[in-house]
Amino acid sequence: MSAVWRAGRAAVRRRRMQTFVIGLVVLLSTTTVVVALALLQASSAPFDRSFDHQQGAHAVAVFDAALVTDAQLSARRTGVAATSGPFGLAVLDSDGDGRIGPRGPLTVVGRADPAGPVDRLNLWDGRWPTAPGEIVLNRPPQGDGERGMPPGSNEVTLGGVPFTVVGRAYSLSQTADAWVAPEQMASLHPTETQMLYRFTGDVSTKAAVEADLAATTAGLPTGALLAARPYTAVKEEVSADVGVYVPFLATFGVLGLIVAIVIVGNVVSGAVVSGYRHIGILKALGFTPRQVVAVYLAMVSVPAVAGSVLGTVAGSLAAQPLLTSGFEGLGLDVGIGVGPWIWVAGLVGVPAVVALAAFVPAARAHSLSAAAAISAGSAPRLGRATRIQHRLAGLRLARSVTLGIGLPFARPGRTSFTVAAVLLGVTTVTFATGLAASLGRISAIEDRASGQVGVYPSDGQGRIVPDGQGPPVAAPARTTRTDIQVESLLRGTPSAARVAANLKLPVAVVGQTQPVMVNFMRGDYSTMGYADELTEGRWMAGPSETVVPSELRKALGLSMGSRITLRLGPSVEQTVTVVGETMDGPEGPPGLIVDWSVFTALAPARVVLPHEVYYQVQLTPGADVDGYAAAVRAADPALDAYNNAQVSDFAVTVIGFSSVLSLLLSTVAALGVFNTVVLNVRERRRDLGMLKSIGMTPRQVVTMVLSSMALVGVVGGVLGIPLGVLAHHYILPAAADAARVTIPYSVLSVWQVPTLVLMGLAGVVIALLGALVPARGAARLTIAEVLHNE
Amino acid sequence: MTLVVRLDDVRKEYGDTAALDGVSLEIRTGEAVAVMGPSGCGKSTMLNMIAGLDRPTSGTVLVHDQDLGRLNETKLALFRRHKIGMIFQFFNLLDDLPALDNVALAAQLTGARVGSARSRALELLDELGIADRRNAYPASLSGGERQRVAVARALMNRPALLLADEPTGALDSRAGEQVMDLLLDLNQIGQTLLIVTHDDRLATRCASRVVELADGRVTGERILERA
Repeated sequence: MSAVWRAGRAAVRRRRMQTFVIGLVVLLSTTTVVVALALLQASSAPFDRSFDHQQGAHAVAVFDAALVTDAQLSARRTGVAATSGPFGLAVLDSDGDGRIGPRGPLTVVGRADPAGPVDRLNLWDGRWPTAPGEIVLNRPPQGDGERGMPPGSNEVTLGGVPFTVVGRAYSLSQTADAWVAPEQMASLHPTETQMLYRFTGDVSTKAAVEADLAATTAGLPTGALLAARPYTAVKEEVSADVGVYVPFLATFGVLGLIVAIVIVGNVVSGAVVSGYRHIGILKALGFTPRQVVAVYLAMVSVPAVAGSVLGTVAGSLAAQPLLTSGFEGLGLDVGIGVGPWIWVAGLVGVPAVVALAAFVPAARAHSLSAAAAISAGSAPRLGRATRIQHRLAGLRLARSVTLGIGLPFARPGRTSFTVAAVLLGVTTVTFATGLAASLGRISAIEDRASGQVGVYPSDGQGRIVPDGQGPPVAAPARTTRTDIQVESLLRGTPSAARVAANLKLPVAVVGQTQPVMVNFMRGDYSTMGYADELTEGRWMAGPSETVVPSELRKALGLSMGSRITLRLGPSVEQTVTVVGETMDGPEGPPGLIVDWSVFTALAPARVVLPHEVYYQVQLTPGADVDGYAAAVRAADPALDAYNNAQVSDFAVTVIGFSSVLSLLLSTVAALGVFNTVVLNVRERRRDLGMLKSIGMTPRQVVTMVLSSMALVGVVGGVLGIPLGVLAHHYILPAAADAARVTIPYSVLSVWQVPTLVLMGLAGVVIALLGALVPARGAARLTIAEVLHNE
Repeated sequence: MTLVVRLDDVRKEYGDTAALDGVSLEIRTGEAVAVMGPSGCGKSTMLNMIAGLDRPTSGTVLVHDQDLGRLNETKLALFRRHKIGMIFQFFNLLDDLPALDNVALAAQLTGARVGSARSRALELLDELGIADRRNAYPASLSGGERQRVAVARALMNRPALLLADEPTGALDSRAGEQVMDLLLDLNQIGQTLLIVTHDDRLATRCASRVVELADGRVTGERILERA
């Protein structure tokens, strides 16, 4: 065994506490690094990476099989990098009663296998269809499965043909709803042919893709190309879903990385600096400078390697549920996990950071003489620290407090790192607290506006079940009440305070090629709370005005004062003026909010059936929501009444991972403080012994040590709060913007003085928690041992 | 004369080794006692017992009628604060405080106001002849000056018993002489003194009685006639 290894091993054994601290700090820091990198990886262009991985189709084109042959399609290569197809395509209606299996018309494509040059499907469940009667459905992995499909059911009927579902695959390009074997497709006599293209030219915009496709299909018979969809449409949709998480994930990821590196650097370099005296002794014994550096690298490497291995495993385990909940059901199958490079970063990168952090001060010791190194470990430092101590000595505070406050100035470098750790911990806690408060406020506003109880009358064909409320429990039934009678029933049921009826219809708008969704609202909707969602302008004052959800406003390019002419029927028009913008609006796809009288004017003869209307009810304060819903169901079994109050999955996910990251980073920051205090106490053992010898009580020792870190906590808190508030102020709107939503200012103004004071205390709490154990250890120091061990 | 210290059959073990083995000793008010003996004989251990820095394995340590073995850590600290002054071989001054604040510290720990603590500290530094060095930091003081500051700090709370552990051990001969004079002067004005030393000159010059220790036992005692 070499002398270096023996000395390193002896140092590890002699400094058990330090070894434990380094190991623990590296473990938690590696956990943080792995989680942070996984979050950053997941939030970095997730669609593009999954799309490239699947060799997604830049354009999905459908041709008339009667006008163009497969050979003609296969021959078109202008500007094409790769193609898949031609595939037979049929659109089949679901013949079920709507309660089981997929609903509506489905695009079914005949493909021999899920691979190919373009649109490599992710067959994540079961197998590919090989025989007639077998089908694979297009479903994202980790999704909800077939909503409404009883467990174990694998039978679907499409276009009168029974199929057995043998697998589930996912196409990010959304090239089909289901796939069958080519033989099966031939028996369905398809009239259309699908081609999937990847182009060599510019594909950055919808227009560019359309131009590429036009170049490729030039020369084909007129009318042969029936429809085409560029990938940009799917990308926009997925990006809006994922994009909302990206700012949060990236923020926590960056914070986690910085905290981990700062703490590891501080702990390891501190360990080496505090060992200068030992380094001097080793040199005096004849160790070469290079051997001394090797001893110290060996000393920190043992706990660092153990910590990084355990931390990488812990980080991988912790990251997976966070990522799964964030990206569930979006079908992104690349980078949504802890990739190999993250394992490498944890297992190699972190020990490398540790080695570097140890190497810098060890290399400094390398050049010191033995005598200088010995004295560097305990030599007094004159300068700013002594002047500060002198001034503090004159303050009218308990001497144990003033002595403590002066301690951090003795080691400004170490103190700066510790302040940085606390600062980042406070920033994280502040940001996470603001985030939770804002999301809670959004949920509260939405819950209030949408009423505590939602009511869907059954149409006699099926029951409508809101998300997350479980499978239908009653058989389809049709109410005998009219729309107005349903509203009366709801108003007459005890505890109802406000009732609104919402008829959501697509309506033609003059100047727009596509119909626009409109919420025709009746009853108490103006006082239910939608006004709290206003992000600009004001609430409607009459039937000639409308309020527009922010997403729709952006899509239609509307501004305050814009006039919208609605047309429902051949010639009846009504014009409304945009007077306000709301964050969201009533349930379902975003739509204009207008008064019901506009609908009456547009379609005076139209009889509205109850099942076309969604009713929302606000109850009197303290009323039993479930009791009211049960009373409504009892009064009319054809009415499905539900408790509407629910926290969104998004809020649960974001609050969940922000809480986990806050706890992790605060713990790491507290460990940084712990380490600083351990080092400070070790360096000041002699001073502590002397102070105790002249009568400093154990409580005064604890007070002194805690005061030293309380100051660090206060400074970290004071600097960390504004950073956390700034992050909250900019990142929440950025996330909302990614989701194409504008949030009202009231959602951001969650900071009150008491909250900020509490946040400030977070820094002190982190610092005091980290300092408490070593402070008590300092109070228990044996004076005789310390003072006579010169 | 009142009894200040009484050790009764004190034994102190560190593992299997007995540092003190049945030591009994009495010190009365105004006495100056020197404890001498070879390295490892238990001198410093005995001093630690009397200062309340360590506890006996068996036996009784009474200082000013307080049984130190029965006091908890806080009461021991308060005992040291009010009854004991300590001088160390290596001074043990706080490097980041000037001389005046090092001395004042002992009073400030008792809750004394800054002004009165500094005033008393200055008075002591003046009596010890180093008032002009009050704003100097320990690093810029000579060994003798540092030990005078340490003595001033030890006297700050007017202790009943002054304990000195090799007070001249880290000083050159001239500084050592000065410290000896200082201790002698203090004793002559009534300060009870217990000195642990190797230095026979220090013992004969300052002490009225010498206690010899060897292998943790009291092996002899001499009464000295001071000049």
